[in-house]
This record gives sequence, structure tokens and C-alpha cells, in this order.
Amino acid sequence: MKRIILFFLLTGVILAQNNKSDEILNKVKENFNKVNDYVVNVKIKVDVNFLKVPESKAEIFYKAPNKIKLKSDGFALLPKEGLNFSPNSFLQGDYTSILDREENVAGNDCYLVKVIPLGDKSDLILTNLWIDKNQFKIRKIESTTKSNGTFSINLNYNDSLKYPLPSSMVFSFNVAKMDLPRGITGDMNEEQNPEKDKQNKSKTTSGKVYVSYSDYKVNKGIPDSIFDEEKK
Amino acid sequence: MITLIRIELFKIFSKWRTYIGFMVIAVIVPVINLAMLAEGERSLDFMTRNLQQSFVFVGNLLNGYLVSYFILTSLAVHIPFLIALVAGDLLAGEATAGTYRLLITRPVSRMKLVASKFIAGLIYSNLLVLWLAIISLGIGIVFFGVGELIVIKSSGIIIFARGDVLWRFIIAYGFAGLSMTVVTAIAFLFSALVENAIGPIISTMAIIIVFIILSAIQIDFFRNIEPYLFTTYMSSWRMLFDDPINYAEFLKSVLILSGHIVVLFGVTAFLFNRKDILT
Amino acid sequence: MSEEKIIEVKNLSKEFKELKAVNSLNLNVFKGDVFGFLGPNGAGKSTTIRMLLSLISPSEGEIKIFGKLLKNERIAILKRIGAIVEKPDFYGYLSAYKNLEILGKISGIDVTNKKIMEILDLVGLEKRFKSKVKTFSHGMKQRLGLAQALLHDPDLIILDEPTTGLDPQGMKEIRELILHLSRDKQKTLFLSSHILYEVELVANRMIIINKGKTMVEGAVNDLLNMNKMKVTFEVNDSEKVTQLLSATAYINDLESVANNTMIFSMSSEKIAPLNKYLVENKIDVSAVIPTRSLEEYFLNITDKDA
Repeated sequence: MKRIILFFLLTGVILAQNNKSDEILNKVKENFNKVNDYVVNVKIKVDVNFLKVPESKAEIFYKAPNKIKLKSDGFALLPKEGLNFSPNSFLQGDYTSILDREENVAGNDCYLVKVIPLGDKSDLILTNLWIDKNQFKIRKIESTTKSNGTFSINLNYNDSLKYPLPSSMVFSFNVAKMDLPRGITGDMNEEQNPEKDKQNKSKTTSGKVYVSYSDYKVNKGIPDSIFDEEKK
Repeated sequence: MITLIRIELFKIFSKWRTYIGFMVIAVIVPVINLAMLAEGERSLDFMTRNLQQSFVFVGNLLNGYLVSYFILTSLAVHIPFLIALVAGDLLAGEATAGTYRLLITRPVSRMKLVASKFIAGLIYSNLLVLWLAIISLGIGIVFFGVGELIVIKSSGIIIFARGDVLWRFIIAYGFAGLSMTVVTAIAFLFSALVENAIGPIISTMAIIIVFIILSAIQIDFFRNIEPYLFTTYMSSWRMLFDDPINYAEFLKSVLILSGHIVVLFGVTAFLFNRKDILT
Repeated sequence: MSEEKIIEVKNLSKEFKELKAVNSLNLNVFKGDVFGFLGPNGAGKSTTIRMLLSLISPSEGEIKIFGKLLKNERIAILKRIGAIVEKPDFYGYLSAYKNLEILGKISGIDVTNKKIMEILDLVGLEKRFKSKVKTFSHGMKQRLGLAQALLHDPDLIILDEPTTGLDPQGMKEIRELILHLSRDKQKTLFLSSHILYEVELVANRMIIINKGKTMVEGAVNDLLNMNKMKVTFEVNDSEKVTQLLSATAYINDLESVANNTMIFSMSSEKIAPLNKYLVENKIDVSAVIPTRSLEEYFLNITDKDA
């Protein structure tokens, strides 16, 4: 009898947690769905051990549910997972989620929800989402992928903006070391730098990308043609 | 002395063979640009494929700067040949034409004669490199515009902001001029020793090609002699396309090449001063 | 001729790997001389001239020109020398005018258009001044060679085979030019030539070298007088003359008789006495023709050395 009660209690708790996590995620999605489209100016700073890129300026265009485009007059580079931070991109397809615990992230109380995509389609193996308890915005993401190692995204918000759109993001990652082909500008006879050689010997490539967002134009309408592949 | 140099330049530019170099560059560079138009995107894609796995990026990476960089990399043997073609003739040509007798019986020191010829040769070499710079960058930018320059090294990928590229090229071409002056000095030395320009041209090219091959062989023994081969330092212009730039190493290359020039010219002048003119 | 030495060569030697081309050569050229420099092929003439012009450095010996040592004051000396060394070669891809202009500029002289045209006129090339030298015939190049030698109004002119490739008219013009330069302009000339009668016509002093060594040096007249020459006597009765001379030393000088033409080999001082002797002995002498030949002299000297 006691065992049966315990079993039901536990199941209940688990179900409750499950339900709770779904509830939280739905609230996040709902919150974000207030945004149909936005255009934002970004400044990107890249700090990666094998990559030296100048600070770049660009524009990001977004149209719900999944259209996103990076445009720049010059050169701009963003990690793939960091381009689209809408909840939809992490919550695609079938998944199961669990509310793990509550945690404080940068002075904000957050729910820590674990999301495991089901099936083989997604590149994500496991994603941890830290969701602001009061505002239902994503404050932090940590994800393990099949092909690109692990990454984490920290999002900061400017409370004056009524939409859950961040004012800055820090994207940190670790991937298995990239092979660099010696193509057009490859060096046949390069001067070896001992410092860089040491770096080369490390097994992983790691780094951070800092993005700051400014001048959001939300729900002003964006034609689909913006998102078409540019033909040169 | 200025008069002598002007006369030597006049003689150099009165010969049709001098214009071969300029014409070759004027043809090869557009051809390379056309090839890049056809194949460049694909090559760039291949180069950046790993980057594309984890990153999304936009920008005009296939631009005039990239093409010019490629041209500078790939003409390591062609340009020296065009230099040797003229420099090898500077002294040997006088022997072939029989004009040594006219020249050396003038009331001018042999030192001034040999120096003026060398300086004229040096001017030609640097003009050729300048021409390469103008045509490469000019045509490249007209065909492909400007943009950020992507350079792939064994240590990683560097992308230079578009405003951060031109000054590097300017110094790189300047350094190329210095490298070509070394080639001039070699051809000039050989030219002083023989009576026909063919010998110096072939010998100069042979030395360059052999040295390059020796440098490329991945055996320990050859690695040890690499620092003593001037060809090793001729590609130091690449150091300018690095972040941060190792100025100490770059300066070392500049000094070594300059040293070569001084020694080679010194030997040439010494031999020329003592030479018995039998032609 | 003055006593000022323009060229003074002492114990000059030049050794190449297997050959001593010039061997302790001594010569002196005085101011105003037209000096003939003679020798068979391979005698060392060209090597000597090249040493005088600092094209080749001597193995031994000393060269003084204008009283100065060549090895110390080369430039000052060369400013006053004009020369043609062997065949005149120029920058074929440039015009005659341009060649002279360039050579003048290299020499540091003020080459005006007037001066260049004057010189070209002097050597007969004024009409071809614009033509590229590669289109010139050998004779024209020779003239241009002379032009470049005279461009800066030198005091000493060294000419190596100046009339090679010229037609007789051309040779005559060069000869006249040489004499003009010597007599009217007080230039000193140093000529090397194989055309011996040409040298004979213009030179007052000469040297003959062979195998790099001096054979003879001196005034042309004196040297030639020292030697026997061929004298032709046209007589009315050669048999009678032969009989008459058999009792005298003159018979040793008789070389040949053909009809009434008798050829003697004798030195010039003997001509007048022989003529007098024949006339006193009632022989009619219709002609006395001495043939003074540098060529003969030359072959004589060099044969002796062979």
C-alpha cells in the first residue's frame, strides 16, 4: 500500500514537473510570439583562438516563425546558433522537457528547464534553458550538439524594451579543432611561430563572440524578398 | 652620376626586351582575374568550408585584395625571370655589342660606370614591381571591388578589415621590390663575368629555382640550410598579413636581403674594376 | 718635333694564362708625332693599345701619358685621349647622333648639337645622323669611330687600323685628316696599321714589334735609310755596265738585269756615286728609280726574327 502511494506520488511529481516545464516553455514562446518581425543593428566582436576578425557591424532581419538574415555592407560573422535566439529555434520538432530547479542568473531568478529533442533530426542533443521566472525571457542557454561541440549563450536585456529581445549576447563555444585548407592564400613555406604552434596542438577550438544589439525596429513589416539568397 | 644613370636608363628602355616584362604582367594579371571570376567563388567556398560549418558570414571576400594577394603569392618565379632578362644584359650586353671598348675608354671611373648601371637596373626592377602593384590592385578592384581580406595560415584564419589592408600591400610590394633587387644583383654579378646575356639569365633562374626546391624539401638537412638561402626571406612579405605582425622577424628579412644586395654589388664592382676588357 | 714625351712606355709586359703577349716593351711618342705602331698579326699591338687605354691592366711595367702615370691619373689622361680600338662598335639600336651625344655626356663634355653635327660633317656622315647605326656599313662605322675619337678635341689620338674597310677615296680622306690633325692642330697621333704604305705616307716615327717585343724604334726616314733598298737603273748597255762594275764593289749590289733595266739592292748614299761612276764611264743613264718600301723593310725585319 505504502509502495503504491509512493509510486503515485512520485509519478505525480514527475508529471507535475513535466507539465510545469511545458507550461513555462509555452509562456516563453507566447511572450516571444509578440514579435512578428524585427530589424536590429548589431556590433560583433569575435574572440576565438584560431580566428582573427575585425569588429563588424551588421543588421539582422527576423520574421516569425523562422526567417532570419544577416546583412552587412562589409564583413560580418556570427556563430550559427547565435544568429537566431528565438525560443522556436531551440524548441523545434518533438522534444521532452523537465524543470530541473531554480537558479539565479545575473541577479534574476530563473527556472532551469532541460530540453531533449526526440528523434534524430535535430543537431541538438541536450539544451539547458534558464528562463526568467517573472518575465519569461531566456536568460541563458547551454547546449550540446552532435557536430559542433558545446556552446552557451548569455542574453542581457534592456528592460525599457517591451519585447523579449536582448540588448547583448555572449556566445561561448568549444568545437573539435578545425582543419584549415591551404587554398588560395595557403602558405607553402610559412614562417612558423612557436606560440601559435602551441595553440595548434590544443585539441579544441574555443572562443567567445560578443554581440550588442541596438535600434530594434519591431513589427514594422519586412518583405520576404529580404530573406532570399543573394545572387552575386 | 645622375647623367650616367639617366643614360643607362635610356639605353635600357630603348631595347624592346625591356618591355617584355611589362607586357607579360599586363597580360597575366587580367587572365588570373578572369580565372578568379570563373572559379574564385568555388575556391573561396572550399577554403572557408570549415568556417561555414559553425558560422554564418556575409561579406565580399572575393575582392580585389584577395586576388592581388593570390597574384603576389603565385608570381614568385615569373617575376625574377623578367628581372634577370634585363639585369643579365646590363654588362654582358656591352660585351656582346662590343661597346665595352667605347664605354671604358671614357674619362669616367669604372666604379661610377658599374654603379650607374646597377642603379638603373634597380630602378627597372622596382618599376616592374610597381607596375605589378598597380595592375594587380587596379584590375582586381575594378573586377571585384574592395572588401575584407581573408588569409589562411597554419595558425588560423585572419580576416583584415577593408581599411586595414592597403597599407599592408604597400609595404608588401615595397618588400617585393627589395627581393627583386636581390635578383637584379645576382644577375648583374653574372653579367659582369661573361660576354653573353644568356648565361646570366639562365644561371640566375637556376639558382632561384634550386634554392626554392631545397627550401621545400622536408628533410632535416635541408631545413638546416634554409636560413642561409636568400629565397627563404623573399616570401617574408607574408608576415605583413598577420596579426600581430612580427616586426622583428620582418626587419631581419629586410636586413638580410639588403645585406645580400650590398655584398653582391660589392663583389661585382670589385671584379669589374679589375676586369681585362678583351672584347 | 718637340721633345715633350706624350707617351712613355717602360718595360711593359702582359701575361695571359699561356702566353706572354707583350714582353718588356719600351716606346716613346713625342708631342706632334705621327707615330706608326707596326707588327705582324699576334705581335701584341692590340694588347698594347688596350693597356694604353686602361682596358687591360699590365702585368709589369709602367705607362706614362702626358707625363702622368696611367694607373694613378687615368681619368685626367683619358680626358685628353680619343681612340678607336679595333673595329668600331656602337649602340646599334641608337642613331649616329644619339651615340655621339651619349658618349659625349658620359665623358662629361658639353655636347652641343652644333658640335656633334660639325664632327659628323668632318667625317662625312652629316646626312645619316638620324639613321640607326645597325644600318651602317663597315666604312660608315669606321667614320663614326673617328668622329667619337675626335668629339672632345683630344690632344692624343690613338687609331687602331683607321682605314680598314674604306675605299681608296675614303683612305685618302682619312690620311688627309690625319695630316691635318698633326700639322694644323698639333695633335699627336698613334697609329697602328697593317696597311704599311699608308703609315709610311703619314708617320714620322715608328716602332715595329714582334712577339710582344720591340724590334726597332726610331724616325721613319732614318730607319728606312739604314736599310738597303731597291734602285732601278735604266741604262743604254747593260752588258757593258756589268763588265764595268765587275771590278768594283758595286757588283755585289746588283740583283737582276732584264734588257737594259738593272736592279741594285743598296743603301741610299750609294746611288749618287754609282750614277756618277757610270756617267764618267760614258754610260747613258736614262733613269734612276729608288723604291723605298716600308713593306719590304717590315718583312725584312720580321723575317730576321722568325
